[in-house]
Amino acid sequence: MSVVEKVGAGKGRIHVRSDGHEAVFSELSYSYPLKLLSPRLARPNLAVVYVLTYGGGLVDGDSVDLEVNVNDRTSLALLTQGTTKVFKARPGQRYARPTGQEQLRLETSQRVTVVVGSGSTIFLLPDPVTCFRSASYNQIQTFRLASDASAVLLDWITSGRKSLGEDWVFSKYLSINELFICGKRVARDAVLLEEEDESIKALPFRSLADRLNPYSCYATLILYGPQTTSTIEHLSVCFNAITVFKHTSRPSTVWSLTILDGGKGCVLRIAARTAEDARTWLGEALLPLCELIGEDMYNRTFGR
Amino acid sequence: MDSNDEAYILLLLSDGNLPTGAFVASAGLESFVTHGFMTPSGVTPGRKKDKLEYTIEFIRDNLTSYARTASPFVSDAHVLVQEEVALAAASGFEGSMADTMLRLQALDGLYEATTLNHVTRRASKTQGVALLSLYSKGFTKPSVVRRTEDARENDIDIRLGSLVDEFKVAIRREETHGHLPICWGVLTAALGLSIERSQFLHLFLCARGILSAGVRMNIIGPYAAQQLLLHAVKPLVTEEAKRCGTLRTGLKRRSENKDIDSDPFDGDILTYNGPASTWPLGEILGARHDLQHSRVFNS
Repeated sequence: MSVVEKVGAGKGRIHVRSDGHEAVFSELSYSYPLKLLSPRLARPNLAVVYVLTYGGGLVDGDSVDLEVNVNDRTSLALLTQGTTKVFKARPGQRYARPTGQEQLRLETSQRVTVVVGSGSTIFLLPDPVTCFRSASYNQIQTFRLASDASAVLLDWITSGRKSLGEDWVFSKYLSINELFICGKRVARDAVLLEEEDESIKALPFRSLADRLNPYSCYATLILYGPQTTSTIEHLSVCFNAITVFKHTSRPSTVWSLTILDGGKGCVLRIAARTAEDARTWLGEALLPLCELIGEDMYNRTFGR
Repeated sequence: MDSNDEAYILLLLSDGNLPTGAFVASAGLESFVTHGFMTPSGVTPGRKKDKLEYTIEFIRDNLTSYARTASPFVSDAHVLVQEEVALAAASGFEGSMADTMLRLQALDGLYEATTLNHVTRRASKTQGVALLSLYSKGFTKPSVVRRTEDARENDIDIRLGSLVDEFKVAIRREETHGHLPICWGVLTAALGLSIERSQFLHLFLCARGILSAGVRMNIIGPYAAQQLLLHAVKPLVTEEAKRCGTLRTGLKRRSENKDIDSDPFDGDILTYNGPASTWPLGEILGARHDLQHSRVFNS
């Protein structure tokens, strides 16, 4: 069923195709510190893979490179177990902006490349990323879809370990999600959060936390393709029904929706006071997705 | 172009009365205010801030993000047009214009894909197209001015004129979008402004636009706006122009990318040295602009 072959450090490969009514792995391989687990599922043509790392996090210089192929009208859900923790780059030291390849190698990075064939669907529904104090992290995810393929992509980050008083104190977080449909770049979501190296002398210091507060969790959700149509319509109706009157204080959650490609896709962003608030909000807003991945997995993902 | 000529162009371009569409844009300030963000965050208790402080914080976060997103496009569009001018000056390569157009459209397409916010997209297109019209209607040579004897200079003028016109036609045909940073790069290169001046002026005008919106919304007074322009915006724009001036989209050189159908962007440059948003909160609030019960601005 699954073939495990030797791949380079931190590398993984998942190839899913259909065998009648069942999604099967023509390849499922990985190497330290990456670990891929696939539980058996009762749903037809849906495969699930948990993307894990040893020790439950990524440390200084770790690099994970995952290559995924979904074909034959199957669906693949990539999940995690708990937040992706990114540990600090080096005790008490922040990295400057990367200027060359050598510095890039010291940063923690995760690269995911997904190719989705005709009629197939990718669900990327991880727990949020949590960057610890002074951590430096690059996450580059590329999705190449056939014209009638679908994608549900969630990418979110929390402000750190609240219990240790961390609140946006990592040194760098770069997250790039690129969506190509038939080779055309339809969306490039690039977010760079980093503490300023040199502050402007004439103005008071402005920290990353100053910029992002009072929210501790930011999420971006990208939907695309025929499988997501009803969810996009649902979200669109909810969003356009909002009328904002003058607030006297900052809202506890705030979200936005932008439609892509004439309604074939959308980008939803949300800021919430806590990751749990964001999770609850997403769980309610995305209910039309439930039938695609099943109640069981939906509830597990959105903590219902 | 000597520094006097450049100073003269700067004077022209910084005129607040230019019909560039900026007067209907608040770049998200209006939505920011409506959503209650000029009130304490409640996270760090401290002294009460006044509206001046909130305004400069907004400009700072907004400009940092915009500079990081738009500067690579301004630079690359500017370079493309400069190359076109150089080719015209060498009076050869008649076929280069089609190629320049394709590359400008590739930049424009990347900016559209990068700008995942319908309100920003709308405002950016309005202002972009206005800049191109400004060039063809306002900055080309009128017939009353005598043509120079210099044939090369005439060639360049004609080539630039038709480049801008063709880009406008492509926008009208909806083959491309006409986003602000690309059009700004085209305009300033066509006027002969250096890339550094162009970047600096672009960021300055964006900051000034936000301040004007603040005055119109009655958040700050016109004198306070001038005060901020002189003392707060200057170091901010200087810093961002320095920080983002070297960023590029990774658009491949003509020689490296003969086949425009393959991805015309170098993946590594685009990833690590390319456009990125640095203020997700601003993105959210900006995209909620149209939801406001009453509003004065378009963005």
